[in-house]
Amino acid sequence: MTASELIKKVFFFEILQGLALTFRHMISPSVTRQYPTEKREPVPGSRGLHALVRDTETGKEKCVGCGLCAAMCPSQCIHIYTSEGDDHKKVVDRYEVEVLRCVFCALCVEACPFGALALSEVYEYSGYTREEFYYTKDRLLENWDKNMAGEKGRVYFEKFWRPKAVDFALPGPAKSGERKVV
Amino acid sequence: MSINGILWILIKTISVVAVFLIHVMFVQLFERKAIAHMQSRMGPMRVGWHGVLQPIADSIKLFFKEDIIPTNADKPIFYIAPIIGVIGAVSSLAVVPLWEGFSIANLNVGILYILALSSVSAYSVILGGWASNSKYSFLGGLRSSAQVISYEISMGLSLVGVMMMAGSTNLSDIVRAQQQGNWFVVPQILGFTVFFISALAETNRVPFDLPEAETELVSGFATEYSGMRWALFFMAEYAGMFVMSALAVICFFGGWSGPDFWIFAKVPPVIWLILKVYGFIFLYFWIRATLPRYRYDQLMRLGWKIFIPVALANIVLTGVIKILWK
Repeated sequence: MTASELIKKVFFFEILQGLALTFRHMISPSVTRQYPTEKREPVPGSRGLHALVRDTETGKEKCVGCGLCAAMCPSQCIHIYTSEGDDHKKVVDRYEVEVLRCVFCALCVEACPFGALALSEVYEYSGYTREEFYYTKDRLLENWDKNMAGEKGRVYFEKFWRPKAVDFALPGPAKSGERKVV
Repeated sequence: MSINGILWILIKTISVVAVFLIHVMFVQLFERKAIAHMQSRMGPMRVGWHGVLQPIADSIKLFFKEDIIPTNADKPIFYIAPIIGVIGAVSSLAVVPLWEGFSIANLNVGILYILALSSVSAYSVILGGWASNSKYSFLGGLRSSAQVISYEISMGLSLVGVMMMAGSTNLSDIVRAQQQGNWFVVPQILGFTVFFISALAETNRVPFDLPEAETELVSGFATEYSGMRWALFFMAEYAGMFVMSALAVICFFGGWSGPDFWIFAKVPPVIWLILKVYGFIFLYFWIRATLPRYRYDQLMRLGWKIFIPVALANIVLTGVIKILWK
């Protein structure tokens, strides 16, 4: 071994360099974020707990029960039960999400043509029993009202997801004098 | 021996051991916080202000843990092994002089006594590994025994230089010989280096902690010990660290002597001893946070082929210089 290598070995040169590095780290501030007291603000658009959008005009949910979100979901965590209401319209009886199964992929939000489903930024929803993780329609709507209502919800759909219903209007009922061909 | 004398020794013993047990608890917290900050994180922060009460929580937990004994373990030896380690380490405190004239036993063979007890505490590792009747423990115990006996030689030899310079093995005499400001670390720098590295190996600390390497042998010889028994092994390790640091400070860094000018002369000498010993203990932790581990054959090669010759060369050099500069 060369003379400089020998000198470095005898005088612990590289070990002292290592010790200096750890000392430098010791006197600089730690990077730990102490969780319950210091939380990180979720980035806008983060995917968390499900929320059903409440239509501001009618005051009820925008969901029509098409079932596209349930069909898309890779974990099959959305369950929709509909029935025929008066005037041959589809009525959503039960809309339930098993939030423990959700992988937060947001394919359901992307699939919904009416922008009736959103993923809020809530990630702290722990509980003690399995039952409280089977979210029913009311709880989902409640999540929307609490966390995403108003400006935030509007911006969510403007900035991040553009439901089909915005660009492709649904055909309405026949106007007077018109005849429906197809 | 008068009753007064026995009472005084009893008081000294009880106070030293009590303070020492508290030290062992809190030095473990010091280690966790120091190493954590070196790794850019904070150590325990929840229990008490910044984790100060963490050792108490740990002690309570260890006290109530289930005492599991492996099926075919050799029971008497299994029980005795941790106790031997603790005896070896804590008994060494009896000769450590805390300040002028205060040591529980002012032995004329102080250094020899400490070296002998560290050899005895090597038994605890071997017996612990053997009695556990499990592969990992057994290997850990064997490796540790070979390591300890190799490095004991270089440790003893490195202290011979100090003995030659001070003219005695009495620890108080060694400190008195350094009180004029001529700490032995400067003339005996080789001896000090060999001593400190051998002390690292004796107490099974990084970079020589293969016997208890957490990533290699689970917990080495202490794998099968749970609860209070494990706490005893662990206490023996920290006690060994304290004793080795104290020995290094006494033999090389002037023991309880501190600067003699200005306001520093008013400070009680025990404070200087404590500061220096804690400085060395911090050096133990600092090295633990920095260095990787030696492989077993590299470790043995270091001990036999490098440190023993260096320690012997140190002795010859010291002797020659002493004769020439008579």
